[in-house]
Amino acid sequence: MRPRLSFEWLHACSGCEIALLNSGELLLDLLDRVEIVHFPLLMDHKYTSRAGGEGEVHLPEAEIGLVSGGVASEEHQAVLRAMRASCRTLVSLGTCATHGGIPALRNQWPIAAALKTVFAGSEGGTAIPDTILAPLDRVYSIDEQVAVDVSLPGCPPRSESIIEMIAALLAGEPFHLPCKSVCETCPTIRTGKGQQKVRRFLANAEYDPEKTVAEMRCLLEQGLLCMGPVTAGGCGGKDAPLCIRARVPCRGCFGPVRQGGNQLLDMLNALASNGMGHRDIVDRRSLLRFSGAHGLLKPLRERK
Amino acid sequence: MNQVISIHPVTRIEGHARIDIHLDESGQVCDARVGIAALRGFEQFVVGRPAEEIPRIVNRICGICPWMHHLAAVKAIDGCFGVRPAPAGHLLRELCQVLAHIHDKILHFFFLAAPDFVLGPGGDYAVRNIMGLVRQEPELAAQVVRMRQLAQMMLERFAGKAIHPVAGVAGGFAKPMREEERQGLLADSRVLLDFASYALDYAKNKVFSRFCDALQSLGTITTGFLGTVGHQGALRLYDGSLRLMHPDGTTVDFPANEYERYLAEQVEPWSSAKMVYARSWGEGFSLDPDAPRGVYRVNTLARINVCDRIATPRAQAELEEFRGRFGRPAQGTLLYHWARLIELVYACERTLELLADERITDPAVRVPATPRAGRGIGHVEAPRGTLIHDYSTDDNGCITRANLIVGTTHNIAPMNLSVRQAAASLISAGAVDDEMLNRIEMAVRAYDP
Amino acid sequence: MNPQPKIIAFCCNWCSYAAADLAGISRLQYPGSIRIIRVMCSGMVHPEMVLHALNRGADGVMIIGCPLGECHYIKGNEMALARSEVIADTLEDQGFESERFQVAWVSSAEPERLAEIFREMSGRLAALRGAPQVETIAGD
Repeated sequence: MRPRLSFEWLHACSGCEIALLNSGELLLDLLDRVEIVHFPLLMDHKYTSRAGGEGEVHLPEAEIGLVSGGVASEEHQAVLRAMRASCRTLVSLGTCATHGGIPALRNQWPIAAALKTVFAGSEGGTAIPDTILAPLDRVYSIDEQVAVDVSLPGCPPRSESIIEMIAALLAGEPFHLPCKSVCETCPTIRTGKGQQKVRRFLANAEYDPEKTVAEMRCLLEQGLLCMGPVTAGGCGGKDAPLCIRARVPCRGCFGPVRQGGNQLLDMLNALASNGMGHRDIVDRRSLLRFSGAHGLLKPLRERK
Repeated sequence: MNQVISIHPVTRIEGHARIDIHLDESGQVCDARVGIAALRGFEQFVVGRPAEEIPRIVNRICGICPWMHHLAAVKAIDGCFGVRPAPAGHLLRELCQVLAHIHDKILHFFFLAAPDFVLGPGGDYAVRNIMGLVRQEPELAAQVVRMRQLAQMMLERFAGKAIHPVAGVAGGFAKPMREEERQGLLADSRVLLDFASYALDYAKNKVFSRFCDALQSLGTITTGFLGTVGHQGALRLYDGSLRLMHPDGTTVDFPANEYERYLAEQVEPWSSAKMVYARSWGEGFSLDPDAPRGVYRVNTLARINVCDRIATPRAQAELEEFRGRFGRPAQGTLLYHWARLIELVYACERTLELLADERITDPAVRVPATPRAGRGIGHVEAPRGTLIHDYSTDDNGCITRANLIVGTTHNIAPMNLSVRQAAASLISAGAVDDEMLNRIEMAVRAYDP
Repeated sequence: MNPQPKIIAFCCNWCSYAAADLAGISRLQYPGSIRIIRVMCSGMVHPEMVLHALNRGADGVMIIGCPLGECHYIKGNEMALARSEVIADTLEDQGFESERFQVAWVSSAEPERLAEIFREMSGRLAALRGAPQVETIAGD
């Protein structure tokens, strides 16, 4: 019997699933080796039998379950718990699942305020549909709700990494990510002397387009806010990080270098320690734009 | 026996949805609703952020069409800052946008929709999917997987990231195209165009030919249409005027920044996705299946209907054949799939046109932008439909307000009507089976929500 | 009202920790709820340590290093100064009143000054409401 895989997506955008589908021939090999028992994007297994059963989620058993997206509603919780119960090994796939991701930016506001903004200005009043939503008080990462066996961050994770991870799990081998930062594989020129001022990305970095990335000066040293030093590496495999290849500074989409890291504090700390003016940053809380779960992003409290 | 039959989740679509079908005492369909449960709240959490960061945040609205949100946002931010992008930057943006349509359409037709047609709408759900397609037609499936990957890798090779792109920036593009990159992309684009033509022929001969009745009848409703057109009414995916067509065939063209005069959003209590209707028709909004009001559709069939012609030769020939068979406007919901493949051919041809433009390798790709207070409205045709990003900024160039109308939003109302029609035509006296339910889902899948 | 605010004080080995020793030997009085943590240099205190302490229920946190220009490691206390600006700025973001954090420079020969600084901090914190609710942080 082939090993069974089960996939779900919660407060997600489907980018992680597309990353898996982008793996080309590797995907075909994988499909040959496993049996997919549940995957709403690709196949028609449903939660309940058609005669209702409101709120129940029945999922088939699987050796490996992969869940993308954060947890933001009661329905997400129900689906996630069903995945945890039915899958022997549970993988949280992608930065939304491991750290909250972009949707956790909403945690800066109380849920009521966010709903009001989204539904304001529509005709038919601002009545917020509640039969469908049942939102939680904030956006959570998966490990805040259930025990997770493997975490693979990335927005999205690298296609090859997803395949490698599944292959390792199928072979019964442990899968660990090296806890290195983006800078580890970044070939840009670092002189050790940065600009004093951090500037907004309103003009392109300085580089010669006919030359490679390795001949470009480090973007952080150029005064652009590159979050490479505080972000988990590997987005470009062993080659240059992807955003750097586009000549654009890193914004931290693989989450912190280690699971419990705080990208805001770490980045401001890195700037301060190197004599760069952290006060020039216009919107510093968005340094947590990918890792706002775990209570890191919360509404500003009023002074008493 | 009042009963509710639920399909949860709707599968082989690009998001989360459920269908609830209400039966009355005699087992007839009295209502059917498509419920969308996802609400992230992007319009809230972009507030207060520097505008030039927004394109890298809102691309995460969708992992299948991130380039669309990325570029609509970039255009809107240019508007806020009062900046005209460098010409090469403008070309590179359109190139990436059109290229991004290609993988999306291959994904939808072959991975999501085709199993219903090639493997049959009934039968074992464990077979009726891409895995089943791989087993039944291994060479076709292998080619499909490779072509999709190729289209994505072209974007990644040139622009760094294919999923959740970063290369579109206020004032232009982050990096220019070198000549050797251009030659590589040209060669790959020709491969994609050949595949697109093959895919459409395959679909016409092996797929659509076996479903002639369903093409015209399943989920079919009568609505208006919204798309984008350019010079001489030619189909446009990247920019142009919006064209709104009334069910009676009359049209009006308007620039995207006047969208609020023509379109209005409405909240219904049973769907977290807002609905949009054509305010300018002056008939209000109603989802009454016998007399819908204000309802229009977007996405491939809509764009094919509203355009007068397509400016690239192979796609134009296909359009003429399509119109010869189905007229204009064509209302058959499953015809979305056919229109999607015509657009696939156009996207490949347009990619080649853009790469052939000498200006695309100009190194001046970005003009610097200065933050200021303003409002900008950017629009593109996403695979799912007309996409509008509307932002306002303060003196520091930070967002004060955002309104986003995503492609699928325009189609929420028509999807509900189509599902109602499909359910009513298939279910009677309370008799329901899995194949019927799947056919009802097919009426949703055509919209590629 | 919190009569005995729990204060975590990171004291650098070469100056302020030595001053604290001297204060002890001299029997100088300061509140017993001050918990001193010896570090080799004030510059090694990462902002996350400060936030961690506050999130876990400390009422206040202090970093006490060598007077500027006298750092045993030359520039460590300058780094501490720069980092303390980061902490002060982000404290309110995280929901803590800025009075809960203080940085000070005390030489090993100033035990009375150290005791005075501790007493002042304790008094300031007692006037604030109770510490915000304890939160667990990922990685614990």
